[in-house]
Amino acid sequence: MIKYLCAALMIAASVVAGRGAEPSTRTVIYDGVAAEVDAAPNASAELWVTTKDLARATRFVIKPQGVCRDELCFPLPKNRKAEFISNKGSTTWFNLTEFARLIKQPFAADAKNGVWYFGPRPAEQNGYLASLEAPNFALPDLNGKLHSLSDFRGRKVLLVTWASW
Amino acid sequence: MAQDTGGAKDAGPWITAAKPEYTTLIDERHIVTQKYHMVNVPTAVWIDERGRIVRPNEVAFIDDRFKSFTNMESAKYIDAIRDWAANGAKSIYVLSETELKTRLQPPSDERGRADAEFALAEFLYKAGKGSDAIPHFKEAQRLDPDNWNYKRQAWALSNAERDYGTSFQQEVKKLNGKPYYEPHKLPEGKKPKE
Repeated sequence: MIKYLCAALMIAASVVAGRGAEPSTRTVIYDGVAAEVDAAPNASAELWVTTKDLARATRFVIKPQGVCRDELCFPLPKNRKAEFISNKGSTTWFNLTEFARLIKQPFAADAKNGVWYFGPRPAEQNGYLASLEAPNFALPDLNGKLHSLSDFRGRKVLLVTWASW
Repeated sequence: MAQDTGGAKDAGPWITAAKPEYTTLIDERHIVTQKYHMVNVPTAVWIDERGRIVRPNEVAFIDDRFKSFTNMESAKYIDAIRDWAANGAKSIYVLSETELKTRLQPPSDERGRADAEFALAEFLYKAGKGSDAIPHFKEAQRLDPDNWNYKRQAWALSNAERDYGTSFQQEVKKLNGKPYYEPHKLPEGKKPKE
């Protein structure tokens, strides 16, 4: 949460400082956490990130067998590798938006502010529809204390949403 | 579980006034709306001791103060909750796995994109870029047009008539008789166990 708020303040500051100009960094929100990444040298509607930023912002790394995070690996189509990986000098860039399309991950972008949000893949988001296990979450109470749904295991939970609006 | 982008600033006064004896949380990123594919408030989910859903999303009023708008009475639903609390898995209101899987259908691809647009809009709003957030809130609403959480939250963060060319009242009129809340599907002709 603190990372998220800090990045929100950073994007506000960078937009104010570079009014009208392309921001020199991009903000990537992945798994709900915001991270600042270097902007690719060539302006593009696609989001290219360095492999170092890829690992830092998403925990994915490029391996011979594909793009992997822990035990999860997504092979890149052999005849389309240039759409995903580009070497410029000593830096390797990775097209995170094309990767999202490959793995059917929804995303949204705001070019003006240089912010990309990546949501969960359908397989992550919808797994509970088969297991019927209530998706877990951790949220604060009014005093800021975090509570997880899993804390209530062993008791019935009536989960009720409401809003002030 | 307050679904409020404004967080404690907006939800806090309501929580303080209610003096709840139960756990009350604040969801300023609409995480529960997204994870459970909710579209409205108040929405309830029943979760058993093993952490499994036994009744999925449904409208959950605890009194009849909005009956003239919702055309729903709360008593039957409250009785159902009490029956579940007393009888657990034997309650007639606990749904079978077959029924649950019928009701819990995967959302459209557009819903996933709407969630992403809404989350991006919230991020921009919190970064002080409220006007830049509006096109993304609008896109979320276009992609998931029946999602009142995404409509009403966005409208509440600005002047809805000025920025969205509409209002809650105008949008409800457009329903043209279609219920604002999907009616409960509770067993008919059976009384809750004592």
